[in-house]
Amino acid sequence: MLRLTDIGKTYGLRPVLKGVNARVEKGEIFVLFGHNGAGKTTLLKIAAGIMPPTKGKVEFPGNQDDRSRIFYLGHRNSLYGELTVLENIRFFLDIRNGKERTTNLRETLTDFGLWQRRNDPVKALSQGMKRRLALMKGLISGAGLFILDEPFSGLDIRWKDTLIERFMEIRKNGGSLLIATHLVHEGCRIADRIGLLENGAMAFLEERERAAEAIIQERLKNEICR
Amino acid sequence: MRFAGNTLAIVRKDILLEFRGKEALSIMIFLSLLLLVIFNLAVDIQSENVASLASGILWVVFAFSGILGMGKTSLSERDDGAYLNILFSTVSMESFYIAKVISNLIFLLLMEVFTILSFVILFNYERLIRTFPALAIPLLLGSLGFSIVGTLFSFLSTGSRFGEIILPFLFLPLVVPVLIGGVSATDIILNGSPGESPAKWLKVLVVFDLLYLFISLILFRHIVEE
Repeated sequence: MLRLTDIGKTYGLRPVLKGVNARVEKGEIFVLFGHNGAGKTTLLKIAAGIMPPTKGKVEFPGNQDDRSRIFYLGHRNSLYGELTVLENIRFFLDIRNGKERTTNLRETLTDFGLWQRRNDPVKALSQGMKRRLALMKGLISGAGLFILDEPFSGLDIRWKDTLIERFMEIRKNGGSLLIATHLVHEGCRIADRIGLLENGAMAFLEERERAAEAIIQERLKNEICR
Repeated sequence: MRFAGNTLAIVRKDILLEFRGKEALSIMIFLSLLLLVIFNLAVDIQSENVASLASGILWVVFAFSGILGMGKTSLSERDDGAYLNILFSTVSMESFYIAKVISNLIFLLLMEVFTILSFVILFNYERLIRTFPALAIPLLLGSLGFSIVGTLFSFLSTGSRFGEIILPFLFLPLVVPVLIGGVSATDIILNGSPGESPAKWLKVLVVFDLLYLFISLILFRHIVEE
């Protein structure tokens, strides 16, 4: 579904990524761990095609310029603060896949605790609600590949569990997810494969069964930031 | 159909954002009023010379007020990374650009109507109302030129730390031909001798609009992706 080959990135003279290889198969969740500044966000931006790599290549099936099959969520929520919850969703659906997916909107908004706030401007929502709305857009997007940078950020335990359930549904339906997070417990719960970025290199790449949570915790604790 | 649908969705969203936030239009209208008052104080405008000064004053006000508003509409895409909705959608960069040009054109025309009404009231120059049907054509073509150039440079400058300062420096030199065409056509309509036609200047406006549109469509993709 997504293949990253020998990805390198330098900011000025400073190397941020050094020959990273990774792949995300159809119906698979790949979780990327790493300390702050390890290069996770840069790798995700390169995978999504919004930042060019200095070297290496990114491949996914089909037209490489067609990004409508990808849902990318970075640190920002990509919402229009002046528009209401429903207006944000309607605009998102209008420019993505038409109106055919609006039928289950009420159910999805209710699942994410946003139905009661559907007519409120987004700027009036809490940070957690904004994050939930941003993630909800992904779930109704019809995308096949989800690239998510710290999706659990700002969510309390209830919504983390809801989100994890939804990620599992996406995987079951053949979708692929590339997720960067520093939350080892949540990441290990959902991952099929795990990667650990250390100083811009993939230091650790394992199936979930072989990558114990404790080992990753230990690696992250002991990692010396560059 | 997809092109038209996407363009319309973005224009609708921009109008809704402006209706809610009232940022671009209120700034443009306030500045236009302020400039008219400054002109009133700085230039001795009497009933004898108002006809010869009107076209120049109006187009200077349109250019300076317009550029402020156009900066705001591109900022709405940058806030919270909202432009990522567009990048990961079925919207082509051409469709995105055309939509932004149309949105800016609508706001410019509204500001211009307000400015003309203010001019009539401030300087007691009713001929502007009587000739308005004829004035509408150079207004539309000149505003389109402003919008084509301003939309391109507003996206270029929002990526810069000094964006709002840089924008007029980029915009004003390039719209000089549009200004000359607009002022000349307006002047002929207001003061021309019987039989004198503004057609030559209208053709100049059409040529520059088309030329700028062609160049901008090529450059816009690179600017947004950078």
